Amino acid sequence: MNEKTNTLAVLTEREVAEEMAGEFEIAGIRDTACAKPVQKKKRYEGKPIVSMLLLGLIIAGCLNCSLIMTKDPLYLDLQNYNVPPNREFLFGTDTMGRDIFSMIWYGGRISLFIGIVSTVISTVIAVIFGAFSGSAPVWADRFLMRLTELLLSVPGLLAVIFMQAVLGEANVFSISLVIGLTGWMSIAKVVRTEVRKLRSSEYVIAARCMGGNFFYILRRHLAPNFVSSIMFMVAMNVRSAIVAESTLSFMGIGLPVELISWGSMLSLAENALPTNSWWMILIPGAFLIVTLLCITDLGNYLRKNVNRRESNL
Amino acid sequence: MNEILEVNNLSVSFHTLNGDIQAVRDVSFSLRAGEILVIVGESGCGKSVLCKAIMKLLPSAAKIRSGSIRVKGADITGYRERDMQRLRGKLFSMILQDPMTALNPVMPVGTQIAEAVKVHQPKITKKELKKRVIELLTLVGIERPEERMNMYPCHFSGGMRQRSVMAAALAGNPEILFADEPTTALDVTIQAQILNLLRDIRHKLGTAAVFVTHDLGIAARIADRVAVMYAGKIVEIGTAEEIFTDPRHPYTWGLMKSLPAFSKGRDELYTIPGMPPTPHHLPKGDAFACRNEYALAIDYEEEPPVFRVTDTHYAATWLLDERAPKIPSGAAVLKAADLRNGGKQYPAGGVMKTGIKEEILLDVRHLSYTFSIRDKLSVKAAEDVSFQIRRGEIFGLIGESGSGKSTVARCIMNIYRPPGQGAAGGRGEADIRRGSDMEASGAGRILYKGIDICEPGQFRRNKRMLETTRQMIFQDSNSSLNPRMKVGDIIAEPLKIHRINPPRGSLRAEAEFQMRYVGLDAGYLDKYPAELSGGQRQRVAIARALTMEPELLVADEPIASLDVSIQAQIVNLFRHLQKEHGFSFLFIAHDLAMVEFLCDRVGVMYQGKLVETAPVKELFSNPKHDYTKKLLSCLNDIRYAPI
Amino acid sequence: MGRRILYFILSIFFLSAVTFYMARLAPGDPLVSYYGDRAKKMGPKERKWAEEKLGLDDPITVQYIRWLERAFQGDFGISYKYKTDAVEVIKGRAGNTLILGGIGFVLIFVLSLLLGVLCAWYEDRLPDRVICKIGTVTSCIPEFWLSLVLILIFSVNLRLLPSSGAYTVGGEGGIGDRIRHLILPMVVVVAGHLWYYAYMVRNRLLEEVRADYVLLARAKGLHKRSIMFRHCLWNIMPSYLSIMAVSVSHILGGTYIVETVFSYPGLGTLAYESARYQDYNLLMVLCLMSGILVILCNMAAQVINEMIDPRMGTAPATLKSRKGGRLANKR
Repeated sequence: MNEKTNTLAVLTEREVAEEMAGEFEIAGIRDTACAKPVQKKKRYEGKPIVSMLLLGLIIAGCLNCSLIMTKDPLYLDLQNYNVPPNREFLFGTDTMGRDIFSMIWYGGRISLFIGIVSTVISTVIAVIFGAFSGSAPVWADRFLMRLTELLLSVPGLLAVIFMQAVLGEANVFSISLVIGLTGWMSIAKVVRTEVRKLRSSEYVIAARCMGGNFFYILRRHLAPNFVSSIMFMVAMNVRSAIVAESTLSFMGIGLPVELISWGSMLSLAENALPTNSWWMILIPGAFLIVTLLCITDLGNYLRKNVNRRESNL
Repeated sequence: MNEILEVNNLSVSFHTLNGDIQAVRDVSFSLRAGEILVIVGESGCGKSVLCKAIMKLLPSAAKIRSGSIRVKGADITGYRERDMQRLRGKLFSMILQDPMTALNPVMPVGTQIAEAVKVHQPKITKKELKKRVIELLTLVGIERPEERMNMYPCHFSGGMRQRSVMAAALAGNPEILFADEPTTALDVTIQAQILNLLRDIRHKLGTAAVFVTHDLGIAARIADRVAVMYAGKIVEIGTAEEIFTDPRHPYTWGLMKSLPAFSKGRDELYTIPGMPPTPHHLPKGDAFACRNEYALAIDYEEEPPVFRVTDTHYAATWLLDERAPKIPSGAAVLKAADLRNGGKQYPAGGVMKTGIKEEILLDVRHLSYTFSIRDKLSVKAAEDVSFQIRRGEIFGLIGESGSGKSTVARCIMNIYRPPGQGAAGGRGEADIRRGSDMEASGAGRILYKGIDICEPGQFRRNKRMLETTRQMIFQDSNSSLNPRMKVGDIIAEPLKIHRINPPRGSLRAEAEFQMRYVGLDAGYLDKYPAELSGGQRQRVAIARALTMEPELLVADEPIASLDVSIQAQIVNLFRHLQKEHGFSFLFIAHDLAMVEFLCDRVGVMYQGKLVETAPVKELFSNPKHDYTKKLLSCLNDIRYAPI
Repeated sequence: MGRRILYFILSIFFLSAVTFYMARLAPGDPLVSYYGDRAKKMGPKERKWAEEKLGLDDPITVQYIRWLERAFQGDFGISYKYKTDAVEVIKGRAGNTLILGGIGFVLIFVLSLLLGVLCAWYEDRLPDRVICKIGTVTSCIPEFWLSLVLILIFSVNLRLLPSSGAYTVGGEGGIGDRIRHLILPMVVVVAGHLWYYAYMVRNRLLEEVRADYVLLARAKGLHKRSIMFRHCLWNIMPSYLSIMAVSVSHILGGTYIVETVFSYPGLGTLAYESARYQDYNLLMVLCLMSGILVILCNMAAQVINEMIDPRMGTAPATLKSRKGGRLANKR
C-alpha cells in the first residue's frame, strides 16, 4: 500500500515533468489578462435610502396635502379643541380646535418652502461673496474675511431675531429673506478657501498659461470643484433655516398663528404644557425632527468623500 | 546564533472595500547583528508595509495572514500591542521618509527625543535626561545641541530634521533600525550626509538596519546585503557583491539597466517595459512575467519558487530551474544589452542632434524675483539669472529644492510677473502660492522671440502667440490635471480655449491622436485622471502641452514624483518628442543623471543664483563652480557602476 | 502687547459707533419703550418735548459724541423701559446669565473634548458610532422643542423639576433650589451646542492621528494613550481654542431661547426687548459687553495659541514649511 502510493507519486512527478517540458521555453513578453475586479457594489449601496424615501414621502405629502388632509386645517372646530388623537382626529386637535393631522401636511409646505428659499438666498450670496473674496487681491480678501468672521461671531438666531424685530410683522418672504441674509457666512468662507486653494493649484495655473480667462477658469475649473465641497453645507443650511423659522414662529416673532407652519403650530405648544396635551408638542416636533434628520443624512452623503488614509494610531 | 531578526513566509494583506490586497506575499529573510540590509523596489511593491508589519505598526485593516517573525529567537508574531510597545524603541525603531511631517510641530525637538529616552528609563533624573538628549543630538551630528534642543521643528532644515528623527529613533538604543526611504525627500547633498551618518552610527553603535529605498544607487553605497522586492515578494536576495556582480533575476537586471549610468552615451535610456501590477489584481503566475523579455511559458502559469544560487544568494525565477534554457548569467546579460546598443555609441549630450539653430528663442536677462513676507522678511527666490535657450535646444536647469528653479520657470511662463509690476500689474500674482501674505517684486527682462514678455503692453499685443507657442508641464501630474475633467477633454483643452479648429477633425480625434503619440491607449479618453497611474497622468500632461505644437516647452521637475523605471520611460519620451518636433525645451530637475542624459546645455542654480552654465559634457567633465563640484561628487558617491 | 491693547480699544470704539448708528437708523419709536402705549397718543408738541427730554432730537452724530463723553465718565444713561440706570438693570440679571452661560460654556468645553477624544480613540468602533449617532439626532432637535419636551416630562408629568424661573419666588438664596432650577435649562444649553464642538474635536483628532509623527512616536515605543493626549490633543488645541473663543458669544446668545422658554431672568431676554423697543442705552451697554467679551476671548486664545504653536505669530512659518527651511535661512 505504502509502496504503491510512492510509485504513484513518482509517476505523477515524472508525468508532470514531461508535460511541462514545453513550459520552459522563453516566451518573452506577453499580454497577461489582468482580471478586472468585478464591481460588486450595488447601485443603492452607501446611499441613504431610508432618508431619501422618508424625505420624499414628506415632501410629496406636503405638496399634495389636499389629497391627504382629512379636515380643513384652517377651520376652528370650537367644539373639539384639545382633543387627544382618536379616529376622527388622527393626531388630535390643538387649543383652537384645528385638526393637527391636516395642519402638518398643510404647514409643512411653508416650512420647507422657507427652508429652500432662504438657502437659495444665502447660497447665492455666499458663492458670489466667496468667489469674489477668493479671487480678490490679498488686502481686499483679508478685509472681507475679517468682516465675515465678525458677522459669524454674532449668534445667528439672535441676529435673525433682531432683524425680524426691526422689520416688524413677518410674512413668508420676509422670514426667508432674514434667515437667508444671516446664514451665508460659513458657506462663503468655504467657497473662499476653496477658490483660493484651487486658484493656486497647478491645473488652474496650467489653464491660465494656456490663455483661459477668469470666467473660463471659474466655469470649467473652479465651480465643478468647489460645488462638491459646499453641498454638505448647503444641506445643513436648509436644516438650520427650517429650525430658525420654527424657533422664530415659536417665539412669536415669526409667522403669525393664522399662517400655519410647523413652527407656528409649535408656538401654541406652550399653552398646551399645563394641560399636558403631549400630542400638540410631540407630533409636529417629530415631523420636524424626522425631516431634519433626513436632510442631515442626505447632506452627509453629499459631503465630498475624502479618501482617508488609515490611522497611524 | 547572531541572527537577530528572522522573517519566515510572512504574508500581509489589507482589507479594503474592493477586496483584500496582498501587500506582502510569502517573504522570508533574516538579519544579522550590525548588518545593513537594503530592500529595493518600486513604489507599491510592499517594502514599507513589510517594515511596518515587523514592527506591528500597520493600521487595523492590515492583517498578518501567515508566517512568523522571530526576534532574537523569540516569536513575536502573536504579540499584542502592549508587548510590542515594550519592544519598540528598545529593540527596533524606525525613521520615516518625510522629515517635514515626522516630527510633532508643536513640541520642542529635545522634548521629543527626551520622551523616547524616558519611555525606556522612567526613573531617569532630569539632569541625566538632558545629558542623554545632548549626547544623542551630538551623535547625529547636530551642532550646538544645548541651544537647539529647545527649538521647534519649524526652525530646522530638512536635513537637520531627519537627523533629529534619527536621534529620537536611536534614543532607546535599538538593535535594529528600520529606515523607510529616509533620503528620498532630501536634496542630493543632504542625502549623502545622511547616508554617511547612518554608516557612522552602525560603526559606533553596531545597530543593524533595514533600509528601504527605490534607488539601486543608494543600495550599492551602503548595503551589506540587498533584497529586491517586486509585487509583494522578495524576488532576489544576496550580499551586495552578489547582487551587483551576478544578479540572477530578470527584474534585477532590469533595475540595473535602468540606472542612468548604464545608459550613458546611448541614444535611449533602458527601461523596463510596462508598469508594475496593482496589488488589487495580480496576474496569474509570475507577477513580473509580462514585463520580462526572458519570461518562460511557465511564468504565465505558475509562480516560481525560490532557488538557491549560493548559501547567501537566492532568487525566485524559473530561469534558475534546471529545465530552463541556459541563458547567459546576469553579468553577461547586462553586457549583451550593452553590445546591442553599443553599435551606435554616442558621446554624452546631444551631439547627434542637428536641430539646434543659432537663433535664440528665449533670452532671460538679469532676472530677479523676491518674495516679501510682511514687512520684515523677504526671500530672494531668483537673483540676477541670465541664460539663453536656442531654437531646438534642450536646456537643463538643476539645483536643490528652494534654489529658485521653479520661480525662474514661472517667470518665463508669465505666471509670476517680475519687473516692478509684480504687485501692481498682476493682480497679486504672488499670492498664488496658497494665498499667503506674500507680496512679490522682481526685476530683469525676459525676451521670447525678441518680445519682452515682462512688459505688459508687449505681452498683451502678443498674448495669443505667447499662449499658444509656450507650454508648461508641472511636477505633480496629480494636481496639474483637473480631477473633474475627462482625459480627452483635458488634452483638447488648449484648443478649446483658443477656439482653434482641430486639425484632425474633431477635438476627440485630436485628443486620441495625441494620446497615441505619447504612448497611451485611446481607451483612456473617457477616464478621469484619478483612474490613471502617475506615469500615465504625466503622459496626459505632456499630450496636453503638445496639442498646441509648442515652440518652447517648460517642464518643471516632470519626473521627480515618478518611479525610476517610469522616469526613464518619460525621459525617453521627451527625447523622442523633441527630436520629432524640434521644440526648445527647458527641463528642470534635481536628478543630475537624467539631465546629463537628456540635455544639451545645463545651468546650475544655487540659492537663487545661476552659478554655472555650460554644455552638458563640459559641465560634467570639468565643473567650475564649487557647488557644481559638490553636486557631482555626491552623484559619483551614490552611483554604482554595474558590471 | 501694546499693539494688542490698541487694537482692542479701536475695535471697541468701532463697535460702539456701529451699534449706535444702526440702532438709531432702524425704524421704530423709542418713546414707546419709555412711555408705553401713551407714546402713540402724544400730540406733536408733547412728542417734541419728550424727545428733547431724552435728547433724541439732535443729529445722531451729536448724540453719539454726547454718549461717548458720558460713557467715559462711567455714565451709560438710563434704560427707557426700566427708568433706572442701564448698568443697574443689567447688574440685576447678569448673574443669572453668567451662571447659566458660564457653567454651560465650561461644561461644553470639557465634554466636547472628552467626547471627541473618546470618539477618535474608538474610531469607527461601537462607542464612536453610538456617540456620533446620538450627536446627529440631538443636533437635529431645535432647542425650544427640547425645552418643551423636557418640561413636559420632568415638570408636568414626573413633577421632579421646576419648569420656570431661576429660583422659587420668595425663597431666594437656597443653593439646592437654584441648582434644581438650573438643571433643565443647562441640559438644553449644553445639548444644543455640545455636538458641533465634539464633532470638530473628533475630526481634527482623526486628521492628526494620521500624521507621520504619530508613527514615529509609536516606533519610539510611546504608549498610544500618551501619543493621543500629549501629541495629538496638544496639536489640535490652537484651532480648538480659536473656535471656542468665537463660541462664547454663540453660547451666551443661545441662552436667549432657553431663558424665554424657562422664564429664566437673564440678559438674553433683556437684549431682545431692548432691541425690539429701541431702549438705546441698554442696548449699547449690552452690545459693548458682549463685544468686549468676544474680543477678550479671541485675544486670550491667540496668546495661548502662540505659546503652544511656535509657528503662529511669526511670519516666515509658511515659507519655511514650504521650502524646507532653506529659503528662510538665506537671509
